[in-house]
Amino acid sequence: MLLVGRESCPLRKTNIIEMDRLCINWRKRVKSEYMRLRQLKRFKNAEEVKALFMSNRQKIEERTNLLNEEWSKLRIQSVPLSTPGGALPGKKLCMVEFGFPAFKAQAVAMRPLTTVAGIPFMYSWSPLQQNFMVEDETFLHNIPYMGDEVLEQDEAFLEELIDNYDGVHGDREGGFINDEIFKELVEALSQYSDQEEEEEEVAEEEKGGKEEEEKGVRKSAGEGTEEAKVGPTAAFRRKRRSDLLEPPSPVKLPPLCTPNIDGPFAKSVQREQSLHSFHTLFCRRCFKYDCFLHPFHATPNVYKRKSKEIRMETEPCGLDCFLLQKGAKEFADQEILRSQKSRRRRRQPRPPSSSCPGPSGTTEEAKEVDSDHETTSSSESNSRCQTPTKLCPGEEHVEQVETPVQWSGAEESLFRVLHGTYYNNFCSIARLISTKSCKQVYEFAVKEVLIHRVPLEDGGNSPQKKKRKHRQDDNSSNQVYNYQPCDHPDHPCDSSCPCVMTQNFCEKFCQCEHECQNRFPGCRCKTQCNTKQCPCYLAVRECDPDLCMTCGSADHWDSKVVSCKNCSIQRGLKKHLLLAPSNVAGWGTFIKESVQKNEFISEYCGELISQDEADRRGRIYDKYMSSFLFNLNNDFVVDATRKGNKIRFANHSVNPNCYAKVVMVNGDHRIGIFAKRAILQGEELFFDYRYSQDDALKYVGIEREIDVA
Amino acid sequence: MFVSSAWMHHVQHSGQVMSGTSCKANGAVYPASTTVMTTVKKPKMEQIQADHELFLQAFEKPTQIYRFLRTRNLIAPIFLHRTLTFMTHRNTRTNAKRKTFKVDDMLLRVEKMKGEQESHSLSSHLQLTFTGFFHKDEKPSQNSENEQSSVSLEVLLVKVCHKKRKDVSCPVKQVPTGKKQVPLNPDCSNQTKPGSLPSLLVSSNEFEPSNSHMVKSYSLLFRVLRTGRRDMNGLVNGEANENIEVPSRKKRSSAHREDGETTEIFVAQMTVFDKNRRLQLLDGEYEVSMQGMEDCPVSKKRATWETILDGKRLPPFETFSQGPTLQFTLRWTGDASDKSTAPVAKPLATRNSDGSSPMESRPSTLKSAPLAVKASVSTDIQMKKEQILCEPRQKLRIFYQFLYNNNTRQQTEARDDLHCPWCTLNCRKLYSLLKHLKQSHSRFIFNYVPHPKGARIDVSINECYDGSYVGNPQDIHSQPGFAFSRNGPVKRTAVTHVLVCRPKRTKPSLSEFLESEDGELEQQRTYVSGHNRLYFHSDSCMPLRPQEMDVDSEDERDPEWLREKTATQLEEFTDVNEGEKEVMKLWNLHVMKHGFIADNQMNQASMQFVEKCGAYIARRNLCRNFLLHLVSMHDFNLVSVATIDRAMSRLRHIQEELPDAGADDQADRALMEGACNGTAIACSSGGGGGTKHGKRTKSSVTD
Repeated sequence: MLLVGRESCPLRKTNIIEMDRLCINWRKRVKSEYMRLRQLKRFKNAEEVKALFMSNRQKIEERTNLLNEEWSKLRIQSVPLSTPGGALPGKKLCMVEFGFPAFKAQAVAMRPLTTVAGIPFMYSWSPLQQNFMVEDETFLHNIPYMGDEVLEQDEAFLEELIDNYDGVHGDREGGFINDEIFKELVEALSQYSDQEEEEEEVAEEEKGGKEEEEKGVRKSAGEGTEEAKVGPTAAFRRKRRSDLLEPPSPVKLPPLCTPNIDGPFAKSVQREQSLHSFHTLFCRRCFKYDCFLHPFHATPNVYKRKSKEIRMETEPCGLDCFLLQKGAKEFADQEILRSQKSRRRRRQPRPPSSSCPGPSGTTEEAKEVDSDHETTSSSESNSRCQTPTKLCPGEEHVEQVETPVQWSGAEESLFRVLHGTYYNNFCSIARLISTKSCKQVYEFAVKEVLIHRVPLEDGGNSPQKKKRKHRQDDNSSNQVYNYQPCDHPDHPCDSSCPCVMTQNFCEKFCQCEHECQNRFPGCRCKTQCNTKQCPCYLAVRECDPDLCMTCGSADHWDSKVVSCKNCSIQRGLKKHLLLAPSNVAGWGTFIKESVQKNEFISEYCGELISQDEADRRGRIYDKYMSSFLFNLNNDFVVDATRKGNKIRFANHSVNPNCYAKVVMVNGDHRIGIFAKRAILQGEELFFDYRYSQDDALKYVGIEREIDVA
Repeated sequence: MFVSSAWMHHVQHSGQVMSGTSCKANGAVYPASTTVMTTVKKPKMEQIQADHELFLQAFEKPTQIYRFLRTRNLIAPIFLHRTLTFMTHRNTRTNAKRKTFKVDDMLLRVEKMKGEQESHSLSSHLQLTFTGFFHKDEKPSQNSENEQSSVSLEVLLVKVCHKKRKDVSCPVKQVPTGKKQVPLNPDCSNQTKPGSLPSLLVSSNEFEPSNSHMVKSYSLLFRVLRTGRRDMNGLVNGEANENIEVPSRKKRSSAHREDGETTEIFVAQMTVFDKNRRLQLLDGEYEVSMQGMEDCPVSKKRATWETILDGKRLPPFETFSQGPTLQFTLRWTGDASDKSTAPVAKPLATRNSDGSSPMESRPSTLKSAPLAVKASVSTDIQMKKEQILCEPRQKLRIFYQFLYNNNTRQQTEARDDLHCPWCTLNCRKLYSLLKHLKQSHSRFIFNYVPHPKGARIDVSINECYDGSYVGNPQDIHSQPGFAFSRNGPVKRTAVTHVLVCRPKRTKPSLSEFLESEDGELEQQRTYVSGHNRLYFHSDSCMPLRPQEMDVDSEDERDPEWLREKTATQLEEFTDVNEGEKEVMKLWNLHVMKHGFIADNQMNQASMQFVEKCGAYIARRNLCRNFLLHLVSMHDFNLVSVATIDRAMSRLRHIQEELPDAGADDQADRALMEGACNGTAIACSSGGGGGTKHGKRTKSSVTD
């Protein structure tokens, strides 16, 4: 680094002495500016933290006031006070005597309070009724405190712990120069360069060198972590600066952000763009947007639509219906044919144009890493969006060839969205748009089709989905892998299908055919599905309400009484659990009502973490001597330390009254705790931790990989 | 000498082999060995002492606790020992009366108490002491010395009741109060001690109105049976008189003659309370002239103070000089157990009434004692079957052997003493003692070992004792200060009180106290089902109050923090517009609240969503975004086109019904509470799935 700076300096020579002087000047200047900025930043950070702290304090105070108010309303018996004069013989007095004769000895009656039994220690945790997936923490958020003596003993442990992570939170506080500060620095320095315009170039160079030097110094101090930044030359830096200094684009919104369709700035965009947020964020498995459990959401494009719904309305909706117009019917019919054709075409391999950017120039990539916001160009290549944004100019044509009927951007977007669903049911579309008649819709559709024939056809490209690689070698029977919906449109589920490879059934979330051989058919039970007669039960799966239609798992959504006993986890039909100090150790879980053998008690919920993360966390938990880790499958571990439910307090026993079973519930592995025998009300719950941790899982045969070390 | 001492040392201190070997290495050097001995002995003594200290310490605490509890139980008993099944012999009261109990009796008792106060404050008993029966005209016969010195006197209490409508005459009840032998014609000159004279007690209870009839008046009927002369004499005399006297009387006496005896019956009646409930008989000496029993029984109507003797009227006082009279002293006494006058007819006293438990020797409970004794005898018999001396009357020796670290540390012998050593409760039987020790002193382990002279009880510390509460959970919920702080009705813990329970009880057998080989530790733990502990809130660790028992904090699928989280998480997206965010948040909250799990729920869920949030969507002008959401759901094959149509038309409908201004802003705020809170909390985003920069793009999600 330092070398680069030095090298570039003499290259520019004319007057070396002059250069040196300038160099020194600039060095000083840059240094002071940099320090100033740093300090400013540090100050700003401190202010921010302070403000956050204050706002938190305020929140706490609000809550406290609320509680205090509540308490003041309660009628609470006061502790009877004995009068200080009437010194009861039984009462003890607390005396304070002084050496000085001037001070009288003071005495006050001691008022003993009744003892309140202490409770076991508990770290705080958040309640949860379903697993919650979290990302790996590559940064250690805090150095665990386990008492002074432990810390002193285990320096080695801590060092090892820190080695496991990329760093500890707070270490990087201004350790290197980032884009933001760089930009500020350049801006700050530009005032000087204005004065010495003729030497601007040199200054730039010099500044670059200076920068590099700064970095170099930092590196030599062993602080730098930004090895990747070694590469850029001064020229690149200049370019980058210009990038950074570019005024922000007039549209404030990031490129993929469609304007609010209900807002005043709604634009006329393509269907895919209108629906992009909904499509990408919706989790088809949780029915939620941006769910807590599944990081990878499949987009719906490839889902086959029920063709029966593509139905043409033949009855005119009114006197002014477009169907009464000449040629309208023919147009509609032809439209249907065409759209069906296009649907068929959609199955074909995706056009390469919209696939992922692929390996581009290394500098490009480095740039992307550095500046992943603001620059439109980089974000475009960054995005996986297949919607051709470039088509927008096409809209302008429409606007220009406008008939007296004015179509707003929102209406146009809405039409395209609905057209994709309703096709040529213009009456329905008009009803939904509500501001246009079907005749107007029809007229607009005619124009749209003429203009946008091409975009409509290649519109439905599914986004590139990252295929998860699975280790093929360890295909031994004991391994249970996480299920991930498969998506391989060109071929059926064969040995290359990820579901087949991981020995999972294809679920309703898979993109394969309904007739896929690897699909689980569900059960046709008419009984309780709690014996091995039920194929679902046998396969350690809960009945799927979309597959098993006869056992009752798809009925009585609102009641807790379901004939199928094999759908308790998904329905959350847990037992009421209570928390109390355990008879064995610490806290314990107790059951409120009595249960029968094999009855479902509760799901063991927690954070869903990767095996690697579990290893890192486990090392700390082992030191704490308290672990809530529960092996789920080969890919994931449930950790109830930070988030969980009351069953997390159930203790271990070699002679337990409960057992744990990992069940496949609608595509997710989940841990159910079941009664091993009849349990009476008020009993403490125990299960054998070993079944979940190291020993071979008796029930599903999950075994954690041993090659962790 | 060295060898033996070394051996001793070795045996006694197997733990210190090292010094023993060094001793051997020293070989024949005697002095060396003795020094070793002393050095070894010292720690041994110390060790023993220290061990003993530990032993004492271990037993001290529980003993102190039990001493304290004993005192407390004396002052404010939580339960009575006699109510325990294995202590039934301490219970002197029986339930025998319950079979004949009538509710009216309670009323009676109360009325009786009232009557007592009204009628006579003096009395609870009417005491009659009979001086003698005088029959002057009778010449003392030669037999009189041996046979005829006394007559038998029967005293009856006659209650004349009010006439009821159906009765012809007033119902009369005769209550026998006792029979006594009364001296006949005693010599009045030589005074006999009053104590030796026959006396009778009539309880004042008898003068209380009986339950069926209202008694009009009470009177005493004296009936003297004078056994006649010897058969032969009687026959002769009788026949001699017979013809002269009334034939009917002859008949009667001849009827008596069948028994081989002739009896003369004399009767007299005195009113105690007249029909106005005025007391007629006050304390004093009385002489009643008796009347020979006539053909007809005495009836109230005919009883007068005028005596008709042989059909002739006699002047009132002449009868006393001639006719048979009965002399007696009458006293109203307040105390039945007043021993000064006469022995009172006391019920049977208990055989085992020892003075050890003064509380239980109250006279009122004594009545039922015989039954209790009988019961205890029957169990005694059973004890004897096991060849163990259980009867405390027999000399029973109990050896308490205190064990610590599996070594006997102390042995204490109790002779003929079945008091609990800790709480001085007299258990009176070995079985009860053992049961009591096991049940009430669970900080120790008691093992019974049969012993030829009695019993040995091994006492050791119960390591498993955890002090867990085995009682009514309501008791632990009563938190200090909250005793009177209820604001209106408060729910209590549902506790099932077993009113009647007849479990199959195993017969009491001492073998249940024998040390069992297996699962000894398991048995020591008290096993009680039910909610007998204090529960805590899982979020705040505050005690769970009874009224909160039925609320499961985990019933809500969407805890508040999770609702906030989903809102903040969506808010973080930089490339999702605010309209989309709003609808997504609303929908997420809706799904989280209802916990939808199946594809085929989605149509219904969407319609529900419109109903719930339609007004909000319309007001916030999110209709098109909502439509996009529906179309997107359709794209995922989750809702049908029909649902889109229906949901949208419903939304239009709601929109039209909407009042112009944001009249119900409050409803909105409530609806979006979870969603909006998210923005306020900036710190929390860093916790879970947040990204490093705090800002996310949807495109990164799809990766």
